[in-house]
Amino acid sequence: MSQWLNKVIDDATKVQDYLAPVRQQALEHLRAEGWPTGRNEAWRFTPLSSLKEREAAIDQLDSAVASKVESIPGVDSIDIVFIDGQLVSDLSALTLPAGLQIHSLTNATQTQQTEITALFGAVKPTRHLFGLVNDALCQQGIYIEVQQSAKIDTPVRIVNLATQDTDAHTRVLVNMQNNSQCSIIEYGSGTEQSFTTAFAEYRIGESASLEHYRFAFFTELAKQVGGSHFSLHDNARLNSTLVGYGSELSRVDVDIIHAGEHAKAKMNAIYLLGEGELFDLHSTIEHAMPNGTTEENARGIVGDRARAVFNGRIHIHRDAQKTLAELNNRNLLLSRRGIINTKPELEIYADDVQCAHGATVAEIEEQALYYLLSRGIKRSKALVMLNFGFIQELVNAIPNPAIRDWLLPLLSKRFESMEVK
Amino acid sequence: MSEQIEQALERKYDAGFYSEIESETFEAGLDESIIRRISEMKGEPEWMLAWRLKAYETWLKMEEPEWAHVDYPKIDYQSISYYSAPKSMADKPQSLDEVDPELLRTYEKLGIPLHEQEMLAGVAVDAVFDSVSVVTTFRSKLEEAGVIFCPISEAVHKYPELVKKYIGSVVPRADNYFAALNSAVFTDGSFVYIPKGVRCPMELSTYFRINEMNTGQFERTLIVADEGSHVSYLEGCTAPQRDENQLHAAVVELVALDDATIKYSTVQNWYPGDENGVGGIYNFVTKRGICHTNAKISWTQVETGSAVTWKYPSCVLKGDNSVGEFYSVALTRGRQQADTGTKMIHLGKNTRSTIISKGISAGKSNNAYRGLVKMGPKADGARNFTECDSLLIGDTCGAHTFPYIESRNPTAIVEHEATTSKVSDEQLFLCQQRGLNPEKAVSMIVNGFCKEVFKELPMEFAVEAGKLLEISLEGSVG
Amino acid sequence: MLKINNLHARVEEKTILNGVNLEIKPGEVHAIMGPNGAGKSTLGYVLSGREGYEVLEGDVTFNNEALFDMEIEERASNGLFLAFQYPVEIPGVSNMEFMKESVNAVREQQGLEPLSAAEFLKSAKEACKQVQLPLDFLKRGVNEGFSGGEKKRNEIMQMILLKPSLCILDESDSGLDIDALQVVANGVNSQRDDKRSFIVITHYQRLLDFIKPDFVHILANGKIVKSGDASLALKVEKEGYAFLGKEFEGVEA
Repeated sequence: MSQWLNKVIDDATKVQDYLAPVRQQALEHLRAEGWPTGRNEAWRFTPLSSLKEREAAIDQLDSAVASKVESIPGVDSIDIVFIDGQLVSDLSALTLPAGLQIHSLTNATQTQQTEITALFGAVKPTRHLFGLVNDALCQQGIYIEVQQSAKIDTPVRIVNLATQDTDAHTRVLVNMQNNSQCSIIEYGSGTEQSFTTAFAEYRIGESASLEHYRFAFFTELAKQVGGSHFSLHDNARLNSTLVGYGSELSRVDVDIIHAGEHAKAKMNAIYLLGEGELFDLHSTIEHAMPNGTTEENARGIVGDRARAVFNGRIHIHRDAQKTLAELNNRNLLLSRRGIINTKPELEIYADDVQCAHGATVAEIEEQALYYLLSRGIKRSKALVMLNFGFIQELVNAIPNPAIRDWLLPLLSKRFESMEVK
Repeated sequence: MSEQIEQALERKYDAGFYSEIESETFEAGLDESIIRRISEMKGEPEWMLAWRLKAYETWLKMEEPEWAHVDYPKIDYQSISYYSAPKSMADKPQSLDEVDPELLRTYEKLGIPLHEQEMLAGVAVDAVFDSVSVVTTFRSKLEEAGVIFCPISEAVHKYPELVKKYIGSVVPRADNYFAALNSAVFTDGSFVYIPKGVRCPMELSTYFRINEMNTGQFERTLIVADEGSHVSYLEGCTAPQRDENQLHAAVVELVALDDATIKYSTVQNWYPGDENGVGGIYNFVTKRGICHTNAKISWTQVETGSAVTWKYPSCVLKGDNSVGEFYSVALTRGRQQADTGTKMIHLGKNTRSTIISKGISAGKSNNAYRGLVKMGPKADGARNFTECDSLLIGDTCGAHTFPYIESRNPTAIVEHEATTSKVSDEQLFLCQQRGLNPEKAVSMIVNGFCKEVFKELPMEFAVEAGKLLEISLEGSVG
Repeated sequence: MLKINNLHARVEEKTILNGVNLEIKPGEVHAIMGPNGAGKSTLGYVLSGREGYEVLEGDVTFNNEALFDMEIEERASNGLFLAFQYPVEIPGVSNMEFMKESVNAVREQQGLEPLSAAEFLKSAKEACKQVQLPLDFLKRGVNEGFSGGEKKRNEIMQMILLKPSLCILDESDSGLDIDALQVVANGVNSQRDDKRSFIVITHYQRLLDFIKPDFVHILANGKIVKSGDASLALKVEKEGYAFLGKEFEGVEA
């Protein structure tokens, strides 16, 4: 057992609210599972030692430190801001388009509580240690409902900033009714010593369509573990883009569950890891029903002393005939002091399916590099030119052009700074 | 259609007979005294016994691995007999004429005649029956070339320096649970040494046969290919059809010194159990080879038998420019479970590895590829290519792929691809429209699916492997 | 040779054939034309026994035996050959071993000894040359990576080798340029004699310039609505299917 986890369990027993039954279950799991050992497949390549005996300097925040949240140029989003785990946006002050409702988990009405309880923990699998911690402890969070056939053009952005050495646990629940449409951006960042767990659960109703982004921009000392979990009903559509930087510990889990037929999911993930950073992406695609389609592309560049972990699992259940599922992972390692661990898994129990996965770890084209260098191009610049292309491809596939334009220079700058000395 | 395919896959197990041979079999159970008795039976020197006992001590502290995608009841290691040998072998027959004719008939029935004049020219055979080696053919001819091919129990006496130097050097005693068990109780197996610069004049092969009830087979094979030498080795295995599960926990160690090549092929046809999963062999095997500079090790396996297979023939590519290959066909049906694959550990510069794995699952079976490709920080310019293809037949089986890739070198390239397919109705229809019955059509399509692997088998055995798959598929392909 | 009597058949709950009657005598070439969805390909599949094609009514005799009592491969070894419109790929199985197996399966049925490897190779090479495919096609996987035209020629090569008594060509001309068309037609014509019969299913009259039919039938709504000689095909070519009635106005051949 870890000191930190003991405290979590301790703290959680004190939390008393309408989510108590779920919290109780999570606690039981936590007690039973305990701290993961090196043999635990989910944490095999991701050291958790920095967390095990963690003691947050600030135990409980009274008031959050206000911080400026920059907007994404050209994206006029509805912003909901959490700072160090505290919801600082005044939800009542938001002007929301028709068909969109956003409530806080803390002061929910009786009806809202029923809705929240129904979704809380319904999509996110229980296998995830920190997900369970979040189940047990998180009190700050929001519930978003997109009403039937509502088409919400304005993206909703949920910002999670870590500024102080505290443990922050937030939750986002999104309930998209049939035929609805919306775009949601989960944005997290921080550089200071801190620990954040941020989990989001999405129920995408029949023929509903979600455009989703998750930017895990935690770097340096900030530790974060989070996940986005999607349940797709008949004919639902998901287009998700995930961009991750690495930090002392940064881990994102994505679950895409085909709970209905003829659903289509597309997910692109990008990770760029600078010196000494760790980023771990675990994605699981569950095809529980027939005729689903999933396409996943994860691409990363790993800098000096950095470690990238990718685990991509496709699970085709017995009934999921006529599934099309493809997963592709490409990596570029810049230094012999960096490590890439990748594992694209297939687990298939239906015969009439088309599944494929691929993973590559490639080298820098030495000859091409030499050619560019010999023309006087700086090494870092040459590397960008030669290798940034496959990241750029995924950026170009982002459906929202404003986000594309904002992201590309950001990533290319980061890549340039990753030069191995 | 799938019903037809299922029918085509029904198989009988031809090697399921039992031979009435008087045997000396230890009572079931495992403790230090059993190990001492095994060692005594073999008249082993003190160092060998000490080695075994250390392994036993380690094993006691270990836990049976549970990470594989297989499910079987806990093995009671005290209910197994760790030694069984035909009585006639007790006073070490000097020639074939002294060997129990029933034993020879057993091998003949399996299609492996042990009289040299009847044998396939160019193949030397070591026949291991339960815990002992019965006969090794063509030894004099091999000796002329300087090649040593003998039971490992004999090598311990005759070539102690070689054995001492290499045993446990590739698969250490404490490597894993089953390897530790094997190190403690191994009874026989083959030993091969190819001297410097020698190209082994014939194919070497070992046929393993489990015959006695309630015994486990724990053989150990050690092949050392000295600098610049070349050898091709094949193993085959069968067992009687029984309702009880039997344990086979072997260890194979290959040492390919500079510029040497070892080609190791396996046609594994242990009894798989019946369609309800009753009986069959638990095949928990550790196979690993080490490649020194410019050396090459190539593993080819055709796995059709065993109730549970847990097996990862691996290559440690230690020397620069060394090459590792793994070609595998694994067919599971009924309630069979296979978790098999390879590890390619790239340590040296410009090391290369290729993995081609073909898994065919039918019935209620589960077939998993599990592999590791590791590029060490010094493996500059190393390359791996992996292709894992699964063929599913019916919707009650499972096909899984668990490839682990770890790279610590920016100049190394790893490529992994996996696909899954089925025998399509269109393919079956085309074959039938051209006059082939469904059985023949399925076995032809499956053979086509496996072609890349079959072509890696030595000529003499490619036919055998094809035939085995045919029997397994109850079809007949020319 | 083949007698189709009031054949009704359906695919996945949809009735496609609605009472087809047709008699084919030895040595005859029958062309079947008709608008899209008329049931032309279905007829080929039903005759060869493809799964999913359910016979609702009617019967077919092939050499005086009930065709529908035979398995797919029995029909084949008894001399019924279907040249597929879209031949499927069988990776890893070489054309050579595939055809050797089928030729010998057919020979076995006829009570003939299987061909030796050398004998088979000789006839395979000849057939290969005849359809102008390079010899390395024999070694390649069945249809694996073949172009559309190559697949069609491969089908004709198999027909030449198998020497069937009834050949059903399902749009063997579609997607072919004029040279390839000529090759296919020559292959077919070389096999014509007074015993072997052909059903040529096609969309275009063009093929019939090269393979002269004895009879032309128009299949529409699952029935043969008109039969005639080669001139009927020319009429369709010129006028489309409008003469079949109002609903076919504007449907081009």
